[in-house]
Amino acid sequence: MTIIGAAGATARLASSLVVSVAMASCCLANDISVAGETPSADPVDLEFFEKEVRPLLAEHCFECHGSQSETLQAGLQVDNRASLLEGGDSGAALIPGDADGSLIIEAVRYESYEMPPEGKLADEEIEALSRWVEMGAPWPDEVAPTPVTSRPTFDLDDRKTNHWAWQAIESPEPPQVQATDWPRDEIDSFILARLEEAGLPPAADADRHVLMRRLYFDLIGMPPTADQAADFLSQSDPQAVENLVDELLASKHFGEHWARHWLDLVRYAESRGHEFDPDIRNAYQYRDYVIRALNADVPYDQFVREQIAGDLLPAPRLNPDQDFNESILGTGFWFLGEWVHSPVDIRKDESDRFDNMIDVMSKTFLGVTVACARCHDHKFDAISTADYYSLSGFLQSSDYRQVRFESIENNREISEELAALDARYRERVAETLPNEPALDQLSTPLDEAAAATVVVDYAEIASPEYMQDGFIFGERPRHAGDAVLARTDAGATIQLAKRNAATSDRFWDGLESVSGPATNKRGALVKIPQSGRTLRTPTFLVEHGNVAARVDGQGHVFACVDSHRMIAGPLHGQVVRPIKGEKQWVQLDLNRYVGHRVHLEFTPSTDADLSVVLVTDGATDEMRAQLEQHESEIADSVAEYESAVDSAVLEQWQQLAADWAVEREKLSERVNRRSALAIAMSDGSGEDDHILIRGNSSKPGDLEPRHFLTAISGEPLEIPTGSGRLQLAEAINAADNPLTRRVIVNRTWHHLMGRGIVPTPDDFGVLGQRPTHPGLLDYLATEFADEGQSLKDLIRRIVLSRTYQMASQTDAAAVAADPKNLLWHHRPVQRLPGEAIRDSLLVLSGRLDATLFGPSVPVHLTPFMEGRGRPAHSGPRDGKGRRSIYTAVRRNFLSPFMTTFDTPTPFSTMGRRTVSNVPAQALILMNDPLVVEFSRDWAERAIEQFDEHVERIDWMFQSAFGRPASEQERAIAAEYIAAQASARETTADSIDVWADLAHALVNTKEFIYIP
Amino acid sequence: MNVPSPYPCQRLQSPPLSRREMLSQCAGGFGALALAALQQNSAFADSIDATRKAGHGPHHEVRAKNVIFLYMDGGPSQVDTFDPKPLLKRFHGKDPGKLFTVEPTQFNNNGTVLASPWEFHQYGESGMSVSDLFPNIATCVDELAVIRSMVSEFPEHTFANYFLHTGSGLQGRPTMGAWVNYGLGSECENLPGFVVLNGGLIPPGGLDCFGSGFLPASYQGSIFQPSGSGVANISPTELSPDRQRGKLDLARSLDDIAVHRDGRHDSIESAIANYELAYAMQMAVPEVMSLTDEPAHLQKMYGLESKYEPTRIYGAQCMIARKMIEQGVRFIELTCPQVGGDRWDQHSNLKKGHENNAKAVDQPIAALLKDLRARGLLDETLVVWAGEFGRTPFAQGTNGRDHNPFGFTVWMAGGGVKPGTVYGATDEWGYKAIENRTEIHDLHATMLHLMGVDHTRSTFRFGGRDMRLTDVKGHVIESVIA
Repeated sequence: MTIIGAAGATARLASSLVVSVAMASCCLANDISVAGETPSADPVDLEFFEKEVRPLLAEHCFECHGSQSETLQAGLQVDNRASLLEGGDSGAALIPGDADGSLIIEAVRYESYEMPPEGKLADEEIEALSRWVEMGAPWPDEVAPTPVTSRPTFDLDDRKTNHWAWQAIESPEPPQVQATDWPRDEIDSFILARLEEAGLPPAADADRHVLMRRLYFDLIGMPPTADQAADFLSQSDPQAVENLVDELLASKHFGEHWARHWLDLVRYAESRGHEFDPDIRNAYQYRDYVIRALNADVPYDQFVREQIAGDLLPAPRLNPDQDFNESILGTGFWFLGEWVHSPVDIRKDESDRFDNMIDVMSKTFLGVTVACARCHDHKFDAISTADYYSLSGFLQSSDYRQVRFESIENNREISEELAALDARYRERVAETLPNEPALDQLSTPLDEAAAATVVVDYAEIASPEYMQDGFIFGERPRHAGDAVLARTDAGATIQLAKRNAATSDRFWDGLESVSGPATNKRGALVKIPQSGRTLRTPTFLVEHGNVAARVDGQGHVFACVDSHRMIAGPLHGQVVRPIKGEKQWVQLDLNRYVGHRVHLEFTPSTDADLSVVLVTDGATDEMRAQLEQHESEIADSVAEYESAVDSAVLEQWQQLAADWAVEREKLSERVNRRSALAIAMSDGSGEDDHILIRGNSSKPGDLEPRHFLTAISGEPLEIPTGSGRLQLAEAINAADNPLTRRVIVNRTWHHLMGRGIVPTPDDFGVLGQRPTHPGLLDYLATEFADEGQSLKDLIRRIVLSRTYQMASQTDAAAVAADPKNLLWHHRPVQRLPGEAIRDSLLVLSGRLDATLFGPSVPVHLTPFMEGRGRPAHSGPRDGKGRRSIYTAVRRNFLSPFMTTFDTPTPFSTMGRRTVSNVPAQALILMNDPLVVEFSRDWAERAIEQFDEHVERIDWMFQSAFGRPASEQERAIAAEYIAAQASARETTADSIDVWADLAHALVNTKEFIYIP
Repeated sequence: MNVPSPYPCQRLQSPPLSRREMLSQCAGGFGALALAALQQNSAFADSIDATRKAGHGPHHEVRAKNVIFLYMDGGPSQVDTFDPKPLLKRFHGKDPGKLFTVEPTQFNNNGTVLASPWEFHQYGESGMSVSDLFPNIATCVDELAVIRSMVSEFPEHTFANYFLHTGSGLQGRPTMGAWVNYGLGSECENLPGFVVLNGGLIPPGGLDCFGSGFLPASYQGSIFQPSGSGVANISPTELSPDRQRGKLDLARSLDDIAVHRDGRHDSIESAIANYELAYAMQMAVPEVMSLTDEPAHLQKMYGLESKYEPTRIYGAQCMIARKMIEQGVRFIELTCPQVGGDRWDQHSNLKKGHENNAKAVDQPIAALLKDLRARGLLDETLVVWAGEFGRTPFAQGTNGRDHNPFGFTVWMAGGGVKPGTVYGATDEWGYKAIENRTEIHDLHATMLHLMGVDHTRSTFRFGGRDMRLTDVKGHVIESVIA
């Protein structure tokens, strides 16, 4: 069977060749390539090819790698010799005469690629192919088949030109309208003009109580209390609505509600998910940062800048009350994704993490799907694979840390003063000496082979390469011969440093870093006090695996391989090693990681010394002995020099030491030793990333310089040092970037109106939907930029527009003409998000604890929430009465209440939540014990406050729906109370009966559907 | 008032009403509405919830209407179950590195070649080999299509679990059950279309193995516990059904007033209808979870009388699964019961661990296949037995096996599957698939195909892409289809 099939394929191929040849002879052979010439077209060899090789290729390869392939896999065509020589994405597939060196043979042997994918060829078939390659890959002189399908080519400029989103933002004039009395804002003119064009009337203005309730939920995510509702409804002031809007925008709850929108974009969670769901320690600090930033109305461009590069700002934004660095907290968004432990392929793990970071960043800020270009140029948009890997370079050049954000700015100042102080005293010590120790001449030159193993040398490190988290390793390494102030039993003395080493300074003893409560701590790193106390080497490529560091003191070294930090489980434990006082070499077995990028992090034990001289890769014991020898020669020469210092000078030194110690002590008092921690980014070694062929992390291609999206400004960025994220942030914020501002005004519109002007807020690409009102989108984007990028101003304008304030009642003709309401002839009914439903219940029950900020309340665990990493303790059922945004978001233990009401699974950007409508939602409101409990509390409040049934009923309607009960509703409710009381043989004041009324009101649709 | 039908999914024929007619005619009471809802045919059901019902429908002939996915958590060993490798006995104790290329493993603690502690025998007309671990399933081999050439992309549990369930190694993607319901909708109105019968072990990766990802929340798996109330929030807190009904009738009256005042909105009307379904589910769930009415011989056959508790648990899961199939639940996944050790994940003590796991599932699975066959349901029910990967043919330590994604065995039965088939092969060591390598995407494509769905056309647009269960891959395995 098989043989017949293969022969058939060959026959088909042969006949198509005939056609091709025939065509070639009668037309200009412009686009027909002639197969690569076979050097020895020995007929016997050719016969071997035709009998043994071509059928194999035809049967197993042509479907995906032939001229007839719908899509050509890996860019490789194997039905002619020239294409094989030219190769595909991974380079030449064939080296004639060299079977072992030919990719095609590697692939069929399943050594790297595994081809054909459906199963390995028989040994004799592989042998035949190898033999053919060894023969020189004979192939008859024939015309290569022309691909039948014209495969789409990627033309970035063409795509850019032909898609609206890449075009510059215009600043259109608001259109003229006929009903000039309708618009209250230019926004309304844009909407009305289109309605008038279609001959459709806008809906009437919404009732006052409807508008009020809408504003409360849209702006702060909570309902008005009965009193607030009554107060507003009683006002006759024409400014009342504006005043209410201003009041709500100024409410501290505004930030909570809008932060939740933002958290959906950055896949906010407080655990890593995966197998054991370990903590993302201190993630809540990012959540609180967002709430504060939105409440403070930080200009949007600044908000963007802080998230991309808040750690790099020359003048970070300080918290107005507590002076801590706010900006740096923004960078936490990068690290809110899933992390895994013990990946067998650690580089692939990194590329997956980066992919998620690029995906979230590009969708959130730019509304484009750059991650679609990971394996190939974007299928639809003007985004190339090179664009993807240019962005990946920014991440490759950056690190994760838990930053001491409360102390960092103060201590940075101290560290600068300390550096100046020490320099001053070093200078004064130098002045006491006739000359300097001549170290260069004293030491014998180091053996070249030994020197070649040194990958990091703190004797000669360039200043941008001297990196640390915190300040304890000083502004530069200590140099041999440097005067240092030593603390001995006899008090402070001056000594000369004996070696070149990055050295921690006990000046900083007593640093205390505070984390929020832990739920599920995992990993070898959690116990190491890294924050603000860690020296980071430049990144290097592991070539030998036998890595060692010359150290002195106590602490730990962590080899961060491919930015992997979740060191827990069976693999990768060898990357963390203790440094114990007695040995001056710490060795790391990194054999597993040869060819991987790594940097080392050195952290002294709490209040201990640690110095690091150099790091080697591949040094033998003898080489290390030579390095030691070299080091001790330097030390000896310094010691010798020091011993020659005469007693008069030593006396001077004593005085200097005393003064120096006093000044240091004085400075030390200003150190901010206690600080909370938060997730943040920091710069590592600035590097470009390789383009990974087909996204495969084991197939690196060319380096791609870091730049922004080519379709916007693809020139390599001028990056003076480090990652270049600050430059990236500026590119995202640039005035001529057509995306950023459109995206944010569209998101805002989406949240207020229920649908974006671009209905797909995370995708402005070709597969997304086009703007319904492009002029309005650009108008808003322009105004937003002109008015200082204030989100509150933008929200204020939209909610005060007549468009926003339309009623939800529909006009039959308008619905018939525009059933999807694309022209906005009415405001659609909105279902409350899960958070607002629960928060409403809290308000009604009187159990709301309106405290802002802080560690999350542990999630309440139902018996249905099982699995590994389940928190040891369930949180309280009522979430301590805190707003829903303060309930812990644990990836593997999400609140079922929230997920049922469509709070997204945190894995990627979700700018538009699905709004589902399912029985499970009804079941929650009917039977969830928490809902029943809150309803009962609400009823109790009604009974406590009012004796009259009518008053109770009115108050309950007022607090649930923001309006008094109608006569009919009052009657129905009263009748229910009476009937239930009599059926249960209890009084009409029984809490049981009123609790049931309350529960029934919660189960009306009006409770969660806002007209 | 009428008593709700004891067979809630049974479709009684009556003329279709429009939803609005329905709502106005049934304003007499919630219970009445609920019953009426049950009696309506799809004209009513289709409009209840666009997102829940709007499956794109089958693209071609439907062979399997429903799926029972028997998830073998932890990764059963292929060479100890369905893929006999006599060579292991010959080279038992030898260094595998000298015999073949050993890939990096999860625990990096590789021992010597480990022969299977179990004998294999041939069974049935097909003569298929099964190890002594599965004496009962062995009697059903002529129903099975065994794929011995599965490969996964991941040697770590969580990645591999997500991959097997969602076609992606990363967290947060829609799982098979969600995709199937997205594609075909649910035929059962008072039970969820995607049920996870939890035997006790939620797999690594947690509940996200059963999530709806970027698909609407309505497609996420509902977790059923085989004991207790079964489903979250299914039990009314009211002391009597009357009280709940009174309360819901009141809410309904107020809803009517609001609809009259504010005008009609589809979302609100759908929500009203969902209360009716929810009300009906309160009755349907306990009914489907109760096994007391099942005949004694069947209870025995499923293992409900076993002395081994995990067998009783899994037996109950299998029996409930069959009942759900009868009610039209589209996709049912069974997770494994606790057997003391660590599910199928025998990094050590392979013999004891695999024995316990097999003991828990063998009898119930065989009973399920036979019961479905006897009821004529097997032909329209696809049963899939799979772990997330297999195990190494060499030891981890001395008596365990490490994870092996390079070649392992899964099987399918019923629902259009070609019975008595062995497809694909691993190498002589049982280590790597070499013949008809089958990817998880292929398994998914085949499952969807049997359900009448073309995996390349069942897409959902998210994040600028038309997403699929099979990503950009997957081929239907024609050879296992009858």
